[in-house]
Amino acid sequence: MRRGRGGILFWQLLLVAALLTLWEYGTQVAWLVKHVKLLDPFFISSPSAIVKRFVFLLDPKLEVSLLDRVLNTLLHTLGGFAVGVSTGFLAGLYLGRDPYLAAVCEPFIVAFNSLPRIALVPLVTLMFGFGSVSKIVNSWLIVFFIVFFNTFEGVKNVDGDLVNAARMLGATPGQVTRSVYIPSALAWTFASLTPAISFALIGVVIGEFLGDDAGIGHLIVLSLATLQAADMMVALIVLSAVGIALALVVRRVEAYLLRWQPRYYGAAEPPH
Amino acid sequence: MTRAAPSFPAAAPAPAQPGPALGGSAGTPRISVQGLHRAFRLHGETVVAVGDVTLRVGEREFVSLIGPSGCGKSTVLNIVAGLLPPSAGQVLIDGAPVTGPLRKVGYLFQKDTTLPWKTVEENIGLGLAYRGVPAAERRRRVAEMVRMAKLEGFERAYPAMLSGGMRQRVALMRSFIVEPEVLLLDEPFGSLDTHTALGLHRELLALWERTRQAILFVTHNLEEAITLSDRIILLGRRPSTVKATWAVNLPRPRDVIAVRETAEYLRIYKELWHALGQEFQPAGEAP
Repeated sequence: MRRGRGGILFWQLLLVAALLTLWEYGTQVAWLVKHVKLLDPFFISSPSAIVKRFVFLLDPKLEVSLLDRVLNTLLHTLGGFAVGVSTGFLAGLYLGRDPYLAAVCEPFIVAFNSLPRIALVPLVTLMFGFGSVSKIVNSWLIVFFIVFFNTFEGVKNVDGDLVNAARMLGATPGQVTRSVYIPSALAWTFASLTPAISFALIGVVIGEFLGDDAGIGHLIVLSLATLQAADMMVALIVLSAVGIALALVVRRVEAYLLRWQPRYYGAAEPPH
Repeated sequence: MTRAAPSFPAAAPAPAQPGPALGGSAGTPRISVQGLHRAFRLHGETVVAVGDVTLRVGEREFVSLIGPSGCGKSTVLNIVAGLLPPSAGQVLIDGAPVTGPLRKVGYLFQKDTTLPWKTVEENIGLGLAYRGVPAAERRRRVAEMVRMAKLEGFERAYPAMLSGGMRQRVALMRSFIVEPEVLLLDEPFGSLDTHTALGLHRELLALWERTRQAILFVTHNLEEAITLSDRIILLGRRPSTVKATWAVNLPRPRDVIAVRETAEYLRIYKELWHALGQEFQPAGEAP
């Protein structure tokens, strides 16, 4: 048995190869397909069919090519993420600095947050139609609360001595906010960004399920309507690639902005 | 205490010299604390942290405030800083009542209060940035402080990359760079080892010799108080009042090592040790 870094990669690749082989050839064995419903190509298609459909769907001569769909979903996700993060951050910062206002708002925030946000998607679609706005609002509603709660906690957990130190150095209230509260809260805010980008994508895809003609979510419901398992698999694989790419980008940005934290600059021992 | 009391020739301890805690210089004192009283509510009970404290710090004077732990030294300092309102009495800085932090008053905390998201040079220049000092001048003055603190090469390091002593040097430079007229220090070297603390005593005195602002220095460390101060004020145990003061007639500039071997140092140390012992009360016998 091989151990170590190379070993892990070796086993992972072997596992993928085994699964792909089972998927490709298992779905061709009549006896297996008959007895194992999971291996029926009607449901799960097969790797070669998926690759064929993938190439077909990429064709730019199609009315909506796969690339158009990716761009559409990506744009709405980033839009909802940007709006959700900025409003959630500002609301968290503001309420965190004003305990009185926070106490007034608390029951409403708790009530709204306990409502599953997905239940609001039809209402949002009713209000904003089937276009871009609906999708951005959907992901905004989810992202806002994730970022809001984290930022709010971050502001409340600011070290009072750092605030006093800044005040004694002559900082105005605005300067204290900019140089102490915001950077301190940002560490908490950033911790919420990786889940937030994933949830932004969820909000957009659910919006696309309901009514859309250009996103990846639309391809998923379309392939359900036309019973095209291969198209559905293409959509799922592309969607997961988009999700991974977004999460990686967010993590890189986070590492840059939090470069003052030991876990990001990677120093083991302080010099003496 | 970081080291044992030096041994003395057998003799009855000289009595402390009780007296008014008044500043040595004439005119308006830089800091004037009058009848200061501070009580806190703790679990529904009122705890008196500061009983009745009156003291002064004159122009160019370095005064240490010592006393048993929990005697309210830091509370007095926080009220002088304007970070905490008094329950009764008042604090005047240059004759004006203190109602909040003043730009001419600097403060050095025991806890590390360097901003972890700012580099060493950004931290040192923080007060200048708050005052809107142009970037070019800020760079020049920060560079000078970095050189004095022997932090060259660490300008762009973040505090988490530094040792505790280096971080406190950054905080010291950050306090001095804005040229405060009054400086308050709350056990700033209390969490450092003896060797590192000695280095910082030397740097503090070097900085202070250039500017000679009025300093009120809170510590529980007798050696530190004698080495640095012109005058030492002893607070009694809670609810605290001023018990006695000592004038430290050691010549300046002082060598933080050699000064500890002088007769004057040893005499004051012995008196302080004795007086502090009078205030000591075993746990469980609190009044």
